[in-house]
Amino acid sequence: MHRRTLLVVLLAAALLVPPAADAQKPIKVGMPMPLSGPPALFGEPATKGAMMFVEEINARGGVLGRKLELITRDSKADANEAVRQARELILKDNVDFLVGTLTSAEGPAVSVVAKENKIVFIAPIPKTDQLTAPDKLHPYVFRVASTTTIEGRSAAEIVAKWPVKRVATMSFDYAYGQDVTKAFVEHLKKIKPSVEIVDQQWPKLGEQDYNPFINAQMAKKPEAVFSSIWGGFFVTYSKQARAVGMFDALKYHFIGVGEAATPETAKSMGADYPVGIWGNSYDAFYWGETQAHRSYVARLSRYLKDEYPSSWAIQGYIGMQFLAEAIKKAESTDSDKVAKALLGLTVETPVGPLTIREKDHQANRGQLYGKTVMDPKYPFAIMKPVTYVDPTKFMD
Amino acid sequence: MRRVPWAPLVVVAALLVPAVGSRFYTFLANDVIIWALFATSLNLLVGYTGLVSFGHAAYFGIGAYTTGILMKKLGVPFLLAFPAAGVLAGAFALLFGLFCVRLTRIYFAMLTLAFAQIVWAICFKWNEVTGGEQGMPEVPYPDLAWMGALPLVRDLRTSDHFYLVTVVLVALCLWILHRVVRSPFGRMLTTIRENAERAEFIGVHVRRYELAAFVLAGAFAGLAGGLFGIFNRGVFPDFAYWTKSSEVLIMTLLGGMGTFYGPSVGALALILLNQQIVSYTEYWPFVLGTILVVLLFGFPGGLGGALELLGRRLWRPRRA
Repeated sequence: MHRRTLLVVLLAAALLVPPAADAQKPIKVGMPMPLSGPPALFGEPATKGAMMFVEEINARGGVLGRKLELITRDSKADANEAVRQARELILKDNVDFLVGTLTSAEGPAVSVVAKENKIVFIAPIPKTDQLTAPDKLHPYVFRVASTTTIEGRSAAEIVAKWPVKRVATMSFDYAYGQDVTKAFVEHLKKIKPSVEIVDQQWPKLGEQDYNPFINAQMAKKPEAVFSSIWGGFFVTYSKQARAVGMFDALKYHFIGVGEAATPETAKSMGADYPVGIWGNSYDAFYWGETQAHRSYVARLSRYLKDEYPSSWAIQGYIGMQFLAEAIKKAESTDSDKVAKALLGLTVETPVGPLTIREKDHQANRGQLYGKTVMDPKYPFAIMKPVTYVDPTKFMD
Repeated sequence: MRRVPWAPLVVVAALLVPAVGSRFYTFLANDVIIWALFATSLNLLVGYTGLVSFGHAAYFGIGAYTTGILMKKLGVPFLLAFPAAGVLAGAFALLFGLFCVRLTRIYFAMLTLAFAQIVWAICFKWNEVTGGEQGMPEVPYPDLAWMGALPLVRDLRTSDHFYLVTVVLVALCLWILHRVVRSPFGRMLTTIRENAERAEFIGVHVRRYELAAFVLAGAFAGLAGGLFGIFNRGVFPDFAYWTKSSEVLIMTLLGGMGTFYGPSVGALALILLNQQIVSYTEYWPFVLGTILVVLLFGFPGGLGGALELLGRRLWRPRRA
């Protein structure tokens, strides 16, 4: 009896409380991101970076007086799942914007959902050129990640300086792997025509056993290998490659794009890391170029409670930063207005000023490159010297 | 006491969803309805013929890619691309079925799985045609401009128009399947399920009947796939992956293989449960496993069987 009265009172109270006015309602941002399996090695910290940004901006009063609310979903690094999650975020959770996706299969698939629902979508990680290619570009898709063209060409610039002629490639058989390898091969042949591509291996995304591919490749006697095996997959691949002595045979003429030299990959592998190879990363806590970057690393370190914070958080952070700045500039959360505001927008990010180009909605996001060495200061390999390769000259 | 005309009532209720529910409910209902057709097509094999297929997703995938490629790359209208999904999936079911029906029980199941994995591998690898790993996003909606001229549905969105088309097409497919299982042919399938040897003795060509059931089931799975590719706004190699086969098998089990509408109930239950539970916990497979265990021991007839039982208990006293 009492319980029933209480229920009735509660129900009545719930009905009587007026719905919050629009100005107080948070601005909802949906983030489909791989949060399970090997891709989560990158997906989870990227989500954390976005969360940190949201916490910081909300502490300062939010955007246009409204708080940001981040709703994350596990996309399982699968295009089909990412599309499903994105549609549910829009239809069920009524998100105003989408920031997210990791793989180059997820990005373009979610881009279609954004286009159909007329919702701004900022891709912080997928690199495939197809995402912003002229036939796929639409007013609502933007990218603050690097591209396969930028990454492939940056790697080619480095490999061209090595004393090698016979080069082989190892990439996953899907958009990112195919596109970055193509960009690498084309640019390398252009700047160093004497190079010969002796072998190309294409394991499927998520391959667990690389031995058949490694053996077939080494049988062709390459002098250098370009790999774009990324995330937790690189850990598996390089351990297997090391076991058969591939890195020694190549005299460490190996470059791993797809962020093979991130602190977290190096950290997770510890003594198993093939120290001496070249690699890249979006960020590195030891980079410390500017005051803004040092402050960001310190905050992130506190937020993640990690002495050596992840390099992937930066992509989630920058993605949200661009969105927040665009909402401020547009003075609205209307996707059409925010999309217009994003064109040509320059934002002071922790890695320096970045600009989204008007013509292809692409930010001039470069990456850090370097040869890995052991540094007594850290219990894992780091890139030294580490150089930020500005992509502006490679972008077209 | 007259029989309640359940089927037309459900169809009418389904048609009303866009008018009364939100976009999200229409989305969910669309999902359920397509899966209902997929699960019912599998039940023709599992429930009616006693052939447990672990690779039914192959035909779903083939159907999805057929409609997707025809509509997106070749600009074929939906009116042709949709039946083509059934025809091609049926043709592949005939090809694979020729081998599968030669085996029985677990060997049959494993061979269906093997063929399904081959289909998946082809979808995954054949970049030029299927788009490979990244799949084929942006399958266009059928041209439903004519619906804009109809009263009542004029103001609905394209996705709602497509939903209405789905309801009508699935209802039609289910009606055909219902006719099939009630036909002498369907009765013969049940005979084979009960006792294949005895069926052989009375002169039934068992393999031929099994093959026919396999082709029919494949064709209807293909039709479901064709619809799903459009609904999903893209076709992905996952559609043919073994996890999809197991998902549809679970729906059939959950809903009950013993009844015609059981798998549809299973589709509804599984999708709604998934929706609800994943918003509370990430341990959805754990919950699903528990439900299945309880169901298999407590209600071997599945939800459909349980509902039927409940219905009989409720109706009988009044009849008397």
